[in-house]
Amino acid sequence: MSLLFKGRQQAANQRVSLVQRFFMFFADHLRQSVNSLGELYRIPFASLMTIGVLGFSITLPSTLYIMVENTEQVTDQWQQASEISLFLREDLSDAQAQQLMKRLSSWNEISQVDYISSKQALEEFQRLSGLGEALDYLDKNPLPAVVLVVPTAKHATPTAAGLLLDKLRKEREVDIGKLDIEWLERLYSLLSIAKELVYLLAILLFFAVVLIIGNTIRLNILGKRDEILVMKLVGATDAFIQRPFLYTGFWFGLLGGLMAWFTVTLILLWIGWSLDEFMQQYQIQLDITGLNIKALGSMLVLSILLGLMGSFLSVRKHVNEIEPK
Amino acid sequence: MIKFEDVSKTYPGGQLALSKVNFHIEQGEMAFLTGHSGAGKSTLLKLISLMERPNVGRVLINGHDLGQIKRKQIAYIRRDIGMIFQSHQLLMDKSVFDNVALPLIIEGHTRKTITKRVDAALEMVGLREKTRNLPITLSGGEQQRVGIARAVVNRPPLLLADEPTGNLDPKLSMEIIRLFEDFNSAGVSVFIATHDLGLIARMKYRTLTLKGGRMITDGLSQQEEGWS
Repeated sequence: MSLLFKGRQQAANQRVSLVQRFFMFFADHLRQSVNSLGELYRIPFASLMTIGVLGFSITLPSTLYIMVENTEQVTDQWQQASEISLFLREDLSDAQAQQLMKRLSSWNEISQVDYISSKQALEEFQRLSGLGEALDYLDKNPLPAVVLVVPTAKHATPTAAGLLLDKLRKEREVDIGKLDIEWLERLYSLLSIAKELVYLLAILLFFAVVLIIGNTIRLNILGKRDEILVMKLVGATDAFIQRPFLYTGFWFGLLGGLMAWFTVTLILLWIGWSLDEFMQQYQIQLDITGLNIKALGSMLVLSILLGLMGSFLSVRKHVNEIEPK
Repeated sequence: MIKFEDVSKTYPGGQLALSKVNFHIEQGEMAFLTGHSGAGKSTLLKLISLMERPNVGRVLINGHDLGQIKRKQIAYIRRDIGMIFQSHQLLMDKSVFDNVALPLIIEGHTRKTITKRVDAALEMVGLREKTRNLPITLSGGEQQRVGIARAVVNRPPLLLADEPTGNLDPKLSMEIIRLFEDFNSAGVSVFIATHDLGLIARMKYRTLTLKGGRMITDGLSQQEEGWS
């Protein structure tokens, strides 16, 4: 409504129904968004460069993130196999050992217990070591009896398994307890450092993207300075003038996100081929995840947000600054 | 319609543009504002269209103090004022139709209304056949008429013109003034700034004369004393 003249009908006059106005609002936005896309198409080279910057900036952290995720998935499989070896005291009889077995199998942290008597251990050692009859010359079996404890999945993580080991060590029959997960712990902390680095890198790149989009939009705004002045002279609000530029940011985001998804897919396919062979050697099951719809969705949302943020920052500052004098 | 109460304007840097200006233009009146370049004509118009704010005094339109208008509301104020510029201020890469339609698009009218009103406005200024042309292909007088069509397309109650005949020969200038007279007889208040004294002399309209930022005469155009 007019501020100065009461009763003067301005915008979409009252005869237009609410429903009609509702559709007009969307038709208006659709038209403006398509116009913005057309502007990008008219300067294809410059647009592609900006979209490329956005696309690659999202590709890098996305690829790294997916790799870290997948590495974690692999190590999860290794942990399932983690075993605790308990070397029993030498003076223990078989009966006492069986008693220990019974007690341990009732623990709910433990899914499986196997007993290897010192005799069995020696036989196995003889077979595998290739020392053969040389071992017969020993006057006494030097190997202790061993109990192999497999923790349940819940207690198979490095920390939980470590706690379980401490508990097992307190059993009086146990001489030495060993859990060979130190390397796993190291891998684990390396992975979490890697993850944090990926996050850091992502944040820095996202910042850069916002600034680059902001600057591109700034140049667009300055290029349309005369048009903006005229629009302000005939009564356009800042919001109206800003809208096409925000849509430009939106399109940059959407197209950049699609490009990133495409590039990540290619990279993962390529890595997948070279990994396949390696995985087969180690009999590891690995389906590289990250190519699904959910990942595409979050990448698009992220990159559209970045595009909008960049254009919003720029538009807020520069459209306000252009005033007719 | 337009009322100035002891308005002074000093630009940053100390340049005095207007000093204690008082006048009142009634609703439905047509008046000229004249004076040498640098006398403060443009500043006065800018105070009405809110491109500038006065340092002292009040500017009122239809009884509303423009000093109360917030920055966000300026756009809405300008929709009530049809503005015409010496430099036309047209979008050179848009057709005549799109140029004239701009105020209606901004106000959010339907396609149908826009087409109807733009055609009517172009009819009034005699450019119905040039709808699809680009402004660059038009003559100076035609470009000015596109500017006028844009200013009146949303039927504002007030028209402001800053040197609308600046680059035109006397015959074309007269045609433009006739257009303003048409709008005026339809009830629109018209306020025209010009230094084209010959043009004003041929008509009997109220003329306000500025000199060095001061209003020196306010009356019919014949009274030109104190000018040179």
